[in-house]
Amino acid sequence: MDIAHFLDILWLARTPILKGLGFTISISLLAICFGTLLGIFVGLALTYGIRPLRWIVRGYTDFIRGTPVLVLVLASYYVLSTIGLDLSPFQAGVLALAVFCSSHVGEIVRGALQAIPKGQTEAAKAIGLTFPQTFAYVLGPQALRQILPAWVNTAAEMVKASTLLSIIGVAELLLRTQEIISRSFLSLEFYFFAGFLYFIINYAIERFGRYVERKTAIPS
Amino acid sequence: MGYTLNFAAVWRSFDLLLEGLALSLALALGAILIGAAIGLFTAFCLISKNGFARRPAGIYVTIIRNTPILVLVLFTYFALPQLGFRLGKIESFIFTLALYSGAYLAEVFRAGLLSIPVGLREAGLAIGLTEIQIRTSIIAPLMFRNVLPSLSSTIISLFKDTSLAAAIAVPELTFEARKINVETFRVIETWIVASCLYVITCSILAALMRALERRLSVPR
Amino acid sequence: MTNRLRVAAAVAAFAMLPSLTAFAQETKSKLDEVLARGHLVLGTGSTNAPWHFKSVDDKLQGFDVDMGHIIAKALFNDPEKIEFVNQSSDARIPNITTDKVDITCQFMTVTGERAQQIAFTIPYYREGVGLMLKADSKYADYAALKAAGSAVTISVLQNVYAESMVHAALPEAKVDQYESVDLIYQALESGRADAAATDQSSLAWYMTQNQGRYKDAGYGWNPQTYACGVKRGDQDWLNFVNTALHEAMTGVEFDFYAKSFKTWFGKDLTPPQIGFPVEFK
Repeated sequence: MDIAHFLDILWLARTPILKGLGFTISISLLAICFGTLLGIFVGLALTYGIRPLRWIVRGYTDFIRGTPVLVLVLASYYVLSTIGLDLSPFQAGVLALAVFCSSHVGEIVRGALQAIPKGQTEAAKAIGLTFPQTFAYVLGPQALRQILPAWVNTAAEMVKASTLLSIIGVAELLLRTQEIISRSFLSLEFYFFAGFLYFIINYAIERFGRYVERKTAIPS
Repeated sequence: MGYTLNFAAVWRSFDLLLEGLALSLALALGAILIGAAIGLFTAFCLISKNGFARRPAGIYVTIIRNTPILVLVLFTYFALPQLGFRLGKIESFIFTLALYSGAYLAEVFRAGLLSIPVGLREAGLAIGLTEIQIRTSIIAPLMFRNVLPSLSSTIISLFKDTSLAAAIAVPELTFEARKINVETFRVIETWIVASCLYVITCSILAALMRALERRLSVPR
Repeated sequence: MTNRLRVAAAVAAFAMLPSLTAFAQETKSKLDEVLARGHLVLGTGSTNAPWHFKSVDDKLQGFDVDMGHIIAKALFNDPEKIEFVNQSSDARIPNITTDKVDITCQFMTVTGERAQQIAFTIPYYREGVGLMLKADSKYADYAALKAAGSAVTISVLQNVYAESMVHAALPEAKVDQYESVDLIYQALESGRADAAATDQSSLAWYMTQNQGRYKDAGYGWNPQTYACGVKRGDQDWLNFVNTALHEAMTGVEFDFYAKSFKTWFGKDLTPPQIGFPVEFK
């Protein structure tokens, strides 16, 4: 491995790499935003939904969680276009990741809500709160405390999963890296470098998650 | 939209997909068994008061958890031989996945270990068990029961991660699916069938784990 | 049952066609659509030199890309009027059939099975497979590889016929399949494979990029034809693309084609003979 040669090529390729990094981050952000909105609905439906709705949503999350993300990405790009929904690779990829994210967030929300002892709902009822009030003042805030740290970790998952969008031609960090490799043939060095960049991003997210966890912990 | 689904080509190669699925399961099983051993050992290190045990374990978990697994897979297969560490394709992938799952399982086990009351260890000491005996016959089994729910989700995501073995030409399910795609270009049909195989397998795994959970649960 | 339904639907659609298109052109071809749009949507990859890959200043280039430039020039008299759709190899046919691209030029081998799903243009290159060894390999050439029998491992691009393709040249060799070209080189470099078998054009490109590190085993086999692909059932568009490619190989745009050929394959072409058309010899 010739370090000087590698650095030389790395410097020449700085713009594509930065662009790829930007794409990776925006894909992840979009997927997390949409996925979280959908995921909250999923979580609420799983916990409080009427039975048929609960079954449908349960089927949805089970199917999504049982499928590798790679397959979700390919399906959203190709299968949707056969039913007339023509999405660009970027849109299709974000959709797949958002769907993936929603099943994660849904489970987190459900877990957090169900972890709250039943007595609290009963106590709220006893003092005359309606269900929306109970949710807003009693259940919601407590659940949020549990949800936030796990939710931050989901963000790291999204960043890692965004690598799969390279398969449908979204020019994120991994595809940019592969493009440089196909020109320079330094696959080892550049895969390693890409791994390093992903590590930095995810490590930052993880630290942030720890911080949130500390902030939301019940003071003892 | 002018595209007619035609599964004939996929059914013709269905045996290939099933063979791939069998290999996926074998890869996951091998990785989980080794990974569980690594994870348990790491978990004991993580809760150890000795910094020489704790810190390397912490670094290992942090690095692995924050790097996309695809990079790890490629690195083990292509970089390590240059450093004199040579494994076959399948062994190399199992090694990587075991290392990867070890980091995740370590966190799972750590949480389980922390949930075990100190009194049990003291009770063990009181009846004259050694430190090793306490860990293997009291703490580990109890911890195992406590962590079953999170263990089952780790196992399922591990099974899905076997799809990445396709990158180093291990003929598991995703590899076979891609192979059929290249041959027939029936991409949509192939992914539908492959994803159903994944979902069904995951549901079976989940059901097995739930049955195990029920069997091992503390009678109330 | 479904067939009958489909026939009924087709008949109904045909019955309605004249009334719908009475005021428009007779039949709407992709050609009109592309001209109206003002640029060509070309499907190709970005990770295979010298066919389709990114230059240092991040521009898509290569022989496939140049075929796109030829078609764009014929359409708009401007070779740059192209929108590229970046696709992996297994996306080539789905992207055509689902209308995500007007045309795909991505080192696509012509086969009977594929020709049932898309329409191939006339060929623009004839490829063959070659073997590449490390310069310091213990095997001198093809004969030595063949003599070594099952002791050699060959790295090759993933394909259904990859195994039989290698065995046609080296009947006893072990075959390791990889999903991208750089991985088969990496396998050779790390000693996992004794030789890499892939397209001669790719090998030649790799060897010029890495002077002195590799050598050609000196054997070629497995001829295959590369052509662009368009959606079936649009003869007008297919004719247009064929004309553009044909004239690049034999007519007014020959200089462009020859220059591209020289850039990516390092060989000079002799201009087509003047006089009686070469096609009918």
